[in-house]
Parts: sequence; C-alpha cells; structure tokens
Amino acid sequence: MTRAALITLAILAVGFVAAPFLLGGYELNVLMVALLYVILAVGLNLATGYCGQFSFAQGAFYGIGGYTAGILSRDVGTGFWMNLPAGIVVTGLFGLALGLPALRLKGHFLAIVTIAVQTLVYLGLVQWNSLTGGQNGLAVPPIGETTLFGVRLFEVTSLRDLYWVALVMAAVFVFIAWRLVHSRLGREWVAVREDETLAGAVGLNTTFAKLTAFVASAAFAGGAGVLNAHAMQGVTPDDFQIWISCMVVAMMVVGGRGTFMGPILGAIALTILPELTGELARYKMLIFGVLLVVCVTVAPEGALGRIRKARESRDQAASGRAPAKDPSEASA
Amino acid sequence: MSDPILSVEGVVKRFAGVTAVDGAGLSVGAGEIVGLIGPNGSGKSTMVNMVTGEMPADSGTFRFDGRDITALPAWRRARLGMARSFQMLRLFGSLSVEDNLLLARHISMKRSMWESVLGARPAREEEEAVRARARELLGWFDLAPFADRKVTALSIGQQRMVELARGVIADPRLFVLDEPAAGLSPPNVDRLIALIRRMRDEFGISILLVEHDMRVVRDLCDRVVVLDSGTKIAEGPPAAVTQDPVVVEAYIGRGWKRRAQA
Repeated sequence: MTRAALITLAILAVGFVAAPFLLGGYELNVLMVALLYVILAVGLNLATGYCGQFSFAQGAFYGIGGYTAGILSRDVGTGFWMNLPAGIVVTGLFGLALGLPALRLKGHFLAIVTIAVQTLVYLGLVQWNSLTGGQNGLAVPPIGETTLFGVRLFEVTSLRDLYWVALVMAAVFVFIAWRLVHSRLGREWVAVREDETLAGAVGLNTTFAKLTAFVASAAFAGGAGVLNAHAMQGVTPDDFQIWISCMVVAMMVVGGRGTFMGPILGAIALTILPELTGELARYKMLIFGVLLVVCVTVAPEGALGRIRKARESRDQAASGRAPAKDPSEASA
Repeated sequence: MSDPILSVEGVVKRFAGVTAVDGAGLSVGAGEIVGLIGPNGSGKSTMVNMVTGEMPADSGTFRFDGRDITALPAWRRARLGMARSFQMLRLFGSLSVEDNLLLARHISMKRSMWESVLGARPAREEEEAVRARARELLGWFDLAPFADRKVTALSIGQQRMVELARGVIADPRLFVLDEPAAGLSPPNVDRLIALIRRMRDEFGISILLVEHDMRVVRDLCDRVVVLDSGTKIAEGPPAAVTQDPVVVEAYIGRGWKRRAQA
C-alpha cells in the first residue's frame, strides 16, 4: 500500500512539474484549481477518512482562510506570506469550534451540524458588511514581490508563477498529511473511527484525537483559502457555498476515504473531467451528485478503497488459511 | 492481605426504573483472580462496565490501587493500569494485529505525539521497540504468523487471543475479562485457562473474571463473587460457593429440590 502510494505520488509530481513547460494558460489554470482541491480533499480526509468525523463544512473553512487573507490585507496591509500562517491558524481555531459538537454527536447528526455551520459561515460572510464587504466581497492584492529582511527573493506575477506556488503548497500539505496519518496521532484517529469505546478502553484520549483531526482538517482548507484569495485577487461569499463542500466530499468519497491517495486522485479527476466534457460541464454538480450516490451505493469505500479490498482478499486467498478453516473453532 | 488493587463498594445503577446493580461491592487483591458470576441479568456486565468506566454509576465508590477513581472516565482508568476485554469482541477492525497491540501501548510511550508526527529518531526507535514487544507477545499467544494480518481475517478464537494480548501489552495492574470463553471450543477453553493463569503468574496481573463457563471459574478463580438481581448473595472459594444453596437457588430457582424429591 505504502509503496504503491509513493510511486503514484512520484508519477503525479513529475506530471505536475512538467505541466508548466507543456501546457497553455487555460490548462495550467485548471491544474492550479485541481491543486487547491487536492489540499481541501486531503484535509477533509484527515477528519472524515481517518478519524471518521463527517464534515460538510470544508467549503466554509476554505472561505474563512480566504477572508482572513482579505481582511488582513485590507486592515493591516500584510502580504501573502504573512496571511498564509494567519489564515491557517484562524481557520484551525474555527475547526476547533466545529470539533466541539463532534464530541457529542456522531454520524448523520454531526453531518447535519456541519451543514448548519457551513450555512452560518456563508450567511455571516454575506451579512457582516462592515467586516466582509457583504455580497461584493473583498479585493485581495496579488502575491507580488516576496522579500525576506528587505532582500528581494522572487516575484509572483504570471499565472505560471502562481502555479508553482500552488504546487509547492500542495506538496507541503500532502507531505504534512502523510506524516500525520503515519504517526501515532494518525493511528489514534483511525482507532477513534474504528471503535471509539475501545479507543477509550485502551487509554486513548478520544477528545484530543477528534479535536486535532478537526483542527488539522480545517487548517488545510484555511491554507488553500489564503492562496485562492491571493490568486483570484478577491473573495466573495458565493465562492464558499455548500456546493464547494459537497464537491470536496465527492472528491474524497469517489477517490476513497481513509486511503492516502484516494482524495488526491479524486480531487484531480473531478476537477479535470468536467473541463474535458465541454457542454456537459454545465451539469457538473448533477453528475457529481449521481457519481456520489452511485459510489456510496456500489463501492462506499471509493475507488482506491475498492482496489485495496480486492488486494486484501487476494492475499487472504493466497495465504491459504482462511479463517473459517480453523478446525478447532466453534462458531460463535 | 495487603490493600486490594480494586475495591468497589455500595454500587447502585438504575436504568429507567430497573435497578441493575443494587448496593453490590467487590474487591480484587494483588495477584488474585476473582470470578464474578451470577445468572443472566444479575448485573455482572453492568458492574464490569462501571468498574472500567464505560458506564457511570449512580452511586458507590471505586478505588483502584489506593486511589479514588469514581469520577474518572474509561481512558483515564486505563492509563492507571486497568485493561479489559469485551463480551462482544472489540478490535480495531481495519488494522493489523500488530497495530491493534501497538495502540494499546500508546499510553506508556514516553515520546510526545509531535515527535512522532515529525518522525524524530527517538520516537521512531520507541515505536520499533514497542513493535518488537508486540511481536514477542504475539508469539506468546501463538499469533506470531498473523502479526501483519488484518485482525478481522482471523478466526473468532484467534481474535479473542488478540484481545488478551492487547490487554497484556499495556502492562496493566488489573485485567478485567468479560466472558473470555464465550464462543470458544473446548480445546480453546483449555488454552485460555492456561494463558490466563500464566498472565497472573508471569506478569503479576490481577484478574477480574466474568464468566458463565463454570469450568473456567473453578479452574482459575481464587475467590468468587456471586451477584443476583444486582446484589451480592455469596462470596468465597469456587468449590464452596457453587455448593451454596442460596447460589443454587439463584441459578435454578426456588422449589427445585422439592420437585426433585417428589
């Protein structure tokens, strides 16, 4: 599993690094959007895929990151590199706030609360005119020139430059996710997902596990939101409606929640595919919806989850000792 | 006898008008194997769930290792050295056998979570050491070949053994076993009895054992506590308790003797 994931990641990395040298502006823009969704879906997968806490609020966190950048740029005059950590921290705190109801609610009930949070954030962005600029949103300056202690390092002006920033950011977030899920913390997330009572019985602090998963998940979205705000040079509430959350959920579920590569491939595929279908792209959300329903019905574990399952049962058969064949076993 | 590892007094638990446990108490001394038996619905499982903290008691005190743990949640009690198995097998289904054990050892890992996230060498070394310990223990439970196998791929009997290994790897002072023999074939019950005895003798783990299988109780327990309708009706060595007319009556019902004589 781990080796297959690393090989796939390496192939993707080569593809994404080669892209600016091969593709035109339009295609590059699509890939940049795909990278933003990779960050969103990988982040969501931490809370939902690994820790088992459903969330339809990833779009709201994406927005909170973006608006943090917008508000800071307007009121404090900070640039992208200051807004990025600020946006991550602020969004992480909002993630913590969403994590609190998750301590008491499970499954569908938690999902409904996250939908409510998503809606509240949207309404807040629309209504709180003095802070958010209401329906018109905020203008956000481009990333522009980057200096360190007065020394000019590089300048982000063209779409190509932006693409590089997005690629580096996505790579960093994917790496962080990799470290998280392969650490003790990630293992405890999975324990909470598998059996919360048992997790407590072996001494794991399930409150800590759930809250960290929500914070990490939101922080990823916040980072993507800051980049998106500077890339688009503006934010409006309509960019962060529940459709965005649903799309991120679809990417994660179709790719395979709880697998490392699933949400990455899901995000890339579901961003690029509508661009290839021309006229059909108008029905994007409809198609995503159908895809989601079909996926949850036919293969709830997603594409990669399906592959993993098939491999496991093959290994099982190959090892020749199926559990039922244990002769000394009474049926329980 | 020195101070008991576990002492429980005056426990009451009501469910919507039904009193499941009504003032019962019990204790487990250091290195002791204590059986908790009683007919169906006598409150054994409720008692066990209150001891390990999965369920809060309405009243009563729980002391563990000289410390009042009444207000502590399950995970805090586990960290003080209390392990348990479940009547209905509970394992982390999607994980390997080894990872199931590893998770039960997280509580005594010294390195911080963040060192583990960063992949710092001390954290990696610590995890390797725990994995080595897990494999060693799996050998002890005849599970060595299955370390990397997904836990649900094992038979029920093997999964029960994983549950025991999971308890032992945490180095508990007290291991609460909730019907470990349920669903096991007779040869596996023999193995189970031997393993539980070794857990006490070699690791010094005190054991509170809820069990329906009287053979297991007779073979293992130093002392037995009998519950009926949430109260303690008898306590003593297994041989004496199972002959106690009060206990027999609780299991079989009043009047059996008269009918038998008629």
